[in-house]
Amino acid sequence: MRVSLKWLKTMVDVPCDLREFTQKLDLTGTAVEGVEVTGTALEGIVVGQVLTRERHPDADRLWVTTVDVGAHNLGEGGAPEPVQIVCGAQNFEAGDKVPVALVGATLPDGSRIKKAKMRGVESRGMNCSARELGLGEDHAGLLILHPSAPVGIPIAEHLGLSDAVIDLEITPNRPDCMSMLGIAREVGAIYAVPWSLGREVPAALVGEPVEELVRVSIDDAQRCARYTARVIRGVKIGPSPQWLAERVIAAGARSINNIVDVTNYIMFEMGQPLHAFDLATLAKDGEGRAHIVVRAAKPGERFTTLDGVERVLDEDITCIVDGNAAGAGAAGADAGGAGAAGAAGAAGAAGAGATIGLAGVMGGLASEVTEDTVDILLESATFSSAHTSRTSRKLKLFSEASARYERGVDGASCDTASARAAALMVEVAGGVLCEGVVDVWPAPAVPELLSFRVGRFCDFIGAEVPIADIVGILTRLGCRMACHDQADSGRDSVLPVQPPTFRPDLTREIDLYEEVLRVWGMERVASTLPGGRGRIGEQTTEQRRQATLGRTLRASSLNETMTYAFSSPAADAAVAMPFEEHQQAVELINPMNGEQSVMRRSILPGLLRSVAYNQSRGVANVHLYEQGTVFFASEGRKLPRERQMLAAVLAGAWAEGGWNNPAEPLGFFDGKGVVENLLRELNIAKGQFKALDASAAPWLQPGRAAQVLAGSQQLGWLGEVHPRVCAAFEVQPPVVAFELDVKALLASAAQARPYRELPQFPALSLDLAVVVDEDVSAQRVLQAIRSAGGALLDEVRLFDVYRDEGRLGAGKKSLAFSLAYRAPDRTLTLEEVEKLHQKVIGKVASATGAEVRA
Amino acid sequence: MALLDTIGEERAAVLARIEAAAGTAALEQVRVEVLGKKGSLTALLRGMGQVAPEQRGEVGRAVNRLRDEVEAALAVRREALAAAELEARISSEALDITLPGRARPVGTQHLISRLTEEIVEVFRGIGYQVASGTEVETGYYNFTALNTPPDHPSRGLQDTFYVRDRSGERAAIDGESDVVLRTQTSGVQVHVMEERTPPIYILAPGRVYRRDVADPTHLPQFTQIEGLVVDRGITFGDLKGTLEYFCRQVFGPERTVRFRPHFFPFTEPSAEMDVSCGICGGAGCRSCGNTGWLEILGCGMVDPNVYGFVGIDPQEYSGFAFGLGVERIACLKYNVPDLRMLLEGDMRFLRQF
Repeated sequence: MRVSLKWLKTMVDVPCDLREFTQKLDLTGTAVEGVEVTGTALEGIVVGQVLTRERHPDADRLWVTTVDVGAHNLGEGGAPEPVQIVCGAQNFEAGDKVPVALVGATLPDGSRIKKAKMRGVESRGMNCSARELGLGEDHAGLLILHPSAPVGIPIAEHLGLSDAVIDLEITPNRPDCMSMLGIAREVGAIYAVPWSLGREVPAALVGEPVEELVRVSIDDAQRCARYTARVIRGVKIGPSPQWLAERVIAAGARSINNIVDVTNYIMFEMGQPLHAFDLATLAKDGEGRAHIVVRAAKPGERFTTLDGVERVLDEDITCIVDGNAAGAGAAGADAGGAGAAGAAGAAGAAGAGATIGLAGVMGGLASEVTEDTVDILLESATFSSAHTSRTSRKLKLFSEASARYERGVDGASCDTASARAAALMVEVAGGVLCEGVVDVWPAPAVPELLSFRVGRFCDFIGAEVPIADIVGILTRLGCRMACHDQADSGRDSVLPVQPPTFRPDLTREIDLYEEVLRVWGMERVASTLPGGRGRIGEQTTEQRRQATLGRTLRASSLNETMTYAFSSPAADAAVAMPFEEHQQAVELINPMNGEQSVMRRSILPGLLRSVAYNQSRGVANVHLYEQGTVFFASEGRKLPRERQMLAAVLAGAWAEGGWNNPAEPLGFFDGKGVVENLLRELNIAKGQFKALDASAAPWLQPGRAAQVLAGSQQLGWLGEVHPRVCAAFEVQPPVVAFELDVKALLASAAQARPYRELPQFPALSLDLAVVVDEDVSAQRVLQAIRSAGGALLDEVRLFDVYRDEGRLGAGKKSLAFSLAYRAPDRTLTLEEVEKLHQKVIGKVASATGAEVRA
Repeated sequence: MALLDTIGEERAAVLARIEAAAGTAALEQVRVEVLGKKGSLTALLRGMGQVAPEQRGEVGRAVNRLRDEVEAALAVRREALAAAELEARISSEALDITLPGRARPVGTQHLISRLTEEIVEVFRGIGYQVASGTEVETGYYNFTALNTPPDHPSRGLQDTFYVRDRSGERAAIDGESDVVLRTQTSGVQVHVMEERTPPIYILAPGRVYRRDVADPTHLPQFTQIEGLVVDRGITFGDLKGTLEYFCRQVFGPERTVRFRPHFFPFTEPSAEMDVSCGICGGAGCRSCGNTGWLEILGCGMVDPNVYGFVGIDPQEYSGFAFGLGVERIACLKYNVPDLRMLLEGDMRFLRQF
């Protein structure tokens, strides 16, 4: 909502400067989005009086003038002195007052006035035409000002061009603030000052009764609570007077012609959208009357709006129809004509009529006011906010009128606004106002009487607000304080409050609290902290464990990131995760784009995109993790299942090669190490890794893919991403990745590890190197060692894996372990240990087919 | 007294060799040659048998004295040499300590989760618990129970992501579905109020979605933290005090706040809270649009209609709620120029924090 300060000041006294005023608006709930100061572009241009005018000695068309500019030019003694200006205009005489651009001024076209010599004669300024000031197209000569214009004052001030237009954000609950009147009332409430409509409109000449020219039917009062029609005959369409054009432009509209400008002006002034039809374009019945019908549009009906666009309508859209065209009629409320009641019945059966407007949104091209229009039918109506809002959105057609109807227009002011508009039309366009008004208003709304409990209010906001302040604020906002008998009982008072019809948002006691609080001042309420007793900043076990995840990954050199939770069928297909029947993608009905049309079922694609992003920018070492939600839909379920996942990708090396730190390419075991850290930190004792084959994990490189488990509980997967998948995401392999189910991880976590006594006696270490077939896993050998070693085998460490076709044979590998034997209660003897070691060797050989190397 | 003379000569020679030894190794060599099994002094001792008995006492004492003397000299010399050698080794081992160290760098936390955690900690300190909810939500929890009118524009397909409903029901809203990607974590407060009884002091951080094209100041997904308090005797002053405390903790004690009345469907009265601009200190500059203030969050007293949906008696309890966008605060705190950077995973960006 654009508010011209100049206009506003004609309605209400603003008792402070602009900055303070806008701050006050902000602090009372009318947010200021910006302030546009107009007229500042004409700085340095003042009213001057031509004192002398003489021919330029050297040029026929030029004049040498001396111009009085008051104190803007001072002589040596400090007294005002005229300036000499060379001028090419012909339309002026000595004594005329004209706009003078002083040296240093910048004209609206950007040119700067400098001291100059014109054909040898010094010129210190410029006498200006209207066009040079950006005030019109007239450049035939200088802009001759009124003889009363005070010499020396800024031209913008003299012409009334200085204004500040304040752009206000009006929240959806405040339809009343969508007008100058509403803002003036708000200012009046804030500063406790009186306000008025400002400009008086003289009463118009009255002609024939309007009922003889128009009748109105409302089909459905849900769509239109009130419809009034007035007729003004014999107007002369032309440009608006300057004050009217100025105000309409300041409010953000274009000046079109005097009639249309009046409809816009009253809308901006009073908040009531109006529409002017050319009465001659409407069909007449046998008695010469036009018939306005408000009804639902027919599905598929076509209609061309004022902007020249043909629209296709549906039943939810409300139309204004020329009821006489093509055989018309409507049931429901009906008025106008001779004997309104009778006419209603008669018009019952009917055809469609011709649509002439979209209710509350825009009028039609066919009935538009043109240069030739003589008779005006003025519509002032209250259309339903829900229908208007949906219509606007559906047709993507937003107008100043629809913005007001969407929020709600006060039925009670419908007629007042129409009367003022009609009188104003006669003032600016001539003609005669027909007597009376056709007014269909089936059920006037009466706001409910509310109770304001003073004590409860004070307890609720936490401040003692005097009753006088409460009553004053509510009264100034337009509420009727039905009776104040109880106002004397202090905190126990219950004030009966009748909200005004223009405040449909005030329906409950709490709504009144808000009004009083915001005007009284939120800043006046002292800040406190709640004193509640049952307040504990408790953390659940799961929340505490949750924090371990990120902490461990960061300690393992991974950086946390965030990616889109959206995916696409194409990305899902590229990763080729084999999801099950109950793991379908959650589909968006209205995605932003095709690449974000479903919700992700894995974090991996998002992380791969980030790897590509880094690699394409020359960042080769990528270590990222994300904890986030994945989504699975299944038939028959309204809401999808959501799972928290923890996923990571590793590419490149841990770091660029350093002077003492070679860059080792990251591979499967770096990812595994990170997962092992996690298992350890979560105290998951039975963590294990099982090889995944190609059919189970097609997105991973076969042979480098593992399932992560805690006992039999699946935690997730780990592996190197399949080169094909890397290629689809334009990622340079190898990329190690894992994705684990957070809930499963946390559920498998143990609270704490039990204390184990520190060893008291020394360990004896013996090495064991075995040669096994390639397909015998290290884990199998390890298990054989552990089970044979029993309780005395304290630790086993795999310290070497070695392949050599020549020495070991094809398809063989050597695994070297260091075994530490230790007893908790004594020092083991070498003989004892060697005996056990031999047993281990034997068991391992028989269990795995291993050959023991010397 | 040839033997005693020999001892005297031996003494002079040995002490000179000890003094001359260049290093601990050479000194050890001397020790072996003098005191070792085949050492010269050992030989002297062995030769005692040939000494006349009447001289044995004297010679023996002389030899023993000499041995003590040699051992003492050896010890003194050894210590001196060892000290010198340590000195030499230390100076030879001096490093260019400006060379970079060797460790795998610790990873970093994402700006948004770090800030979320920081804010959660502030509120945990004043007795709040963390609650969470699902990101896909029904229109009822996201809008209706939060007092959003059925025709409110925020429910439209233009502003809210709708999800295909596979339950077979077809809800009336927009003819297609009433399942949405939550546009606010406020829905969590409805669940919490349904499930618990006051006193309620909760914080609900989480990801939310709105249909905005990603640009420097908008993302279709972002992070919101919603707070809710329901207890006996909660006042608007409590709301102010709580949020002022939060702001001082997160932005610093020198910042001031102000409350501007506003409108939200689920609170009444409602307000927006601004914090004074950290760059100009409130005087007005480019980064605060010359107002001196930066908008931080929306808040208000819980609307009685919301209590109506969850069966809490507004005559007995009152409360407040607030919601803030973590991305917005991150931008204000860290001057991130483009919100999209938060979702790109650029290592160079992530490693900055």
